[in-house]
Amino acid sequence: MSWIPLHHLLRPLDAPRQVTEQPSLDHAELCQQALRLAGGLQQRGIRRLALHLDDAAQLAIALLGAWRAGVEVLLPADLQPHTRSRWADQVDLWLTDLPGDANLASLSAAPLSPADLDLERCRISLCTSGSSGEAKRIDKQLSQLHNEVEALERLWGERLGDAWIIGSVATQHIYGLLFRVLWPLCAGRGFERRQWPFPEDLQRASRAHAAFAWVASPALLKRMGENLDWPALRPVRAVFSSGGELPLAAAEQLHQRLGQWPLEILGSSETGGIAWRQDDALWQPFADVRLSLGPDGALQIASAYLPAGHLEHSADAAEIASDGRFRLLGRLDRIVKLEEKRISLPLLEQALDSHPWVSEARLLMLEGGRASLAALLVLSPAGLHALRNGGRRALLATLREHLSGHCEAIALPRRWRLLRQLPYSAQGKLPQAALQAIVQAPRGMAPEVLEQQRDAEQLNLRLAVSADLACFTGHFPQSPVLPGVVQIDWAIALAAPLLPEAQRFAGMEVLKFQQLVRPGDELELALRFDAQRSKLYFTYTCDGRACSSGRIVLEAACA
Amino acid sequence: MSEAQQDLNRDLKQLIIDALGLEDISVHDIDDQQTLFGEGLGLDSVDALELGLAIQKRYGIKIDADAKDTRSHFANVASLAAFVTARQAA
Repeated sequence: MSWIPLHHLLRPLDAPRQVTEQPSLDHAELCQQALRLAGGLQQRGIRRLALHLDDAAQLAIALLGAWRAGVEVLLPADLQPHTRSRWADQVDLWLTDLPGDANLASLSAAPLSPADLDLERCRISLCTSGSSGEAKRIDKQLSQLHNEVEALERLWGERLGDAWIIGSVATQHIYGLLFRVLWPLCAGRGFERRQWPFPEDLQRASRAHAAFAWVASPALLKRMGENLDWPALRPVRAVFSSGGELPLAAAEQLHQRLGQWPLEILGSSETGGIAWRQDDALWQPFADVRLSLGPDGALQIASAYLPAGHLEHSADAAEIASDGRFRLLGRLDRIVKLEEKRISLPLLEQALDSHPWVSEARLLMLEGGRASLAALLVLSPAGLHALRNGGRRALLATLREHLSGHCEAIALPRRWRLLRQLPYSAQGKLPQAALQAIVQAPRGMAPEVLEQQRDAEQLNLRLAVSADLACFTGHFPQSPVLPGVVQIDWAIALAAPLLPEAQRFAGMEVLKFQQLVRPGDELELALRFDAQRSKLYFTYTCDGRACSSGRIVLEAACA
Repeated sequence: MSEAQQDLNRDLKQLIIDALGLEDISVHDIDDQQTLFGEGLGLDSVDALELGLAIQKRYGIKIDADAKDTRSHFANVASLAAFVTARQAA
């Protein structure tokens, strides 16, 4: 296996060199197809080509062919109609898998001669997927990609050896393009044609090769199950992860199953690779990357993978250690200042998340009054158990104590809300306004209605007893129990659809409290109104066991 | 379709709704033959991963990692039900 620099890939070779299989493709044939495409593009006078091909080998052919013909390449993130219209005036031709577009075969013509590619003149443009607004186009010279694959090979070439490269990510984006196509192509490592987004496919592709490596993303790595034959996968030479943060728990699980830690790559479409890490909180910058901090504390990047002289301002706050490695502190908008102290909310959230009582935590700045933090928590079963048996005050004291090991006292949340779940939107985001509304409102007294069903005079409801009800504080401090009077209040309030207007409480009959209702319980409430006698029958049950029941006598409020 | 099959289909729909947190959709909104991913219900590959985990857990079965195209069973509720039934028998 010998290294071929990116711009020399079209040079004729003496020996066979496998690129991929199913169907099998040798490097010489790949070059022939690229040169025929170059001929076809030149013949048609194409200057700007949009490429979207699922097959990584076809993409390699198309890229080399386009560059050989001096054609600029655009890699759109997808082929949605609005994406196509967005780029329509910047592209002469679409070469894609869609039936209406050009394909490799349709463009094939008399080949151009092999030649080296010009690292400065050959261009490629990547597109951000535009989740944060309009899709953005990022123009790169071939030299930037060249520098990056050379650096990757210096770092991990030996470790990978002759590993077959198998990827779960798309090749339209920088990570997949480099790791699944250009790097293996230069290194002479075979690679899978297709993207394999599911664990079973990854395993099947892996088993077909003695040596293999994975180009994966957190989306896949954190969802790999027990159904895989993990011992058979242990020979994996490297597990790369990029595109987002890999949760520590997922990394640990991979380590346990595979006997090795995943290699996390930090980067972006704009910057290419910035840094990597393996079983470490700190990131190691790539050799060609020079980092600094802006006045706002955000990471600034200059690198051989960016246009020369360009300084990229990121929105990620960071802390650079004396040895040059760095810690990410979170997006700038998640770094807040309290009394001149810079506080990273993500770091505090991680600290809370690491406590066995917490299943999920979200912190935010409390607006209005003196600036302080508020915490929204979803308790774990252990946390709920602690709340039920020790009360809110003791629970929060323990969590505050835990947190004080991670931050200064000023960053300890002043206000806490215990929720059944965080208010995620359909897009999986936590809208700031919703979070702010929850912490601004006083702790409530109402149940959360999960379900209700009306059947003539009968109303059946399923209720969640929030861990956060204001009444738990005093009733009772060390063992919160839902007061009977609150249960009666709820019954009357929730029975409104059954009742005539303007009723008021006139008395109780056969009231029975059989079992305590505690924070986090789910209750069934059956309500029936007997209009003739003006009596509301209620029964609360929890897990099929009766909690309380009785008859509430009502009378017209205005006599 | 037998009653057991109908129950399983309804169970699977509820599982899809719960596992993927699909608000505003009820079991009645999902047709047995409706395509779940891409077009149709509009789920993506991460949803498929989640659903795979949920189904294995719920029914105590394993997705055979050595079989080819296991995810083709995820095309719709009917194919999922057939898959679960077959794996439970295995």
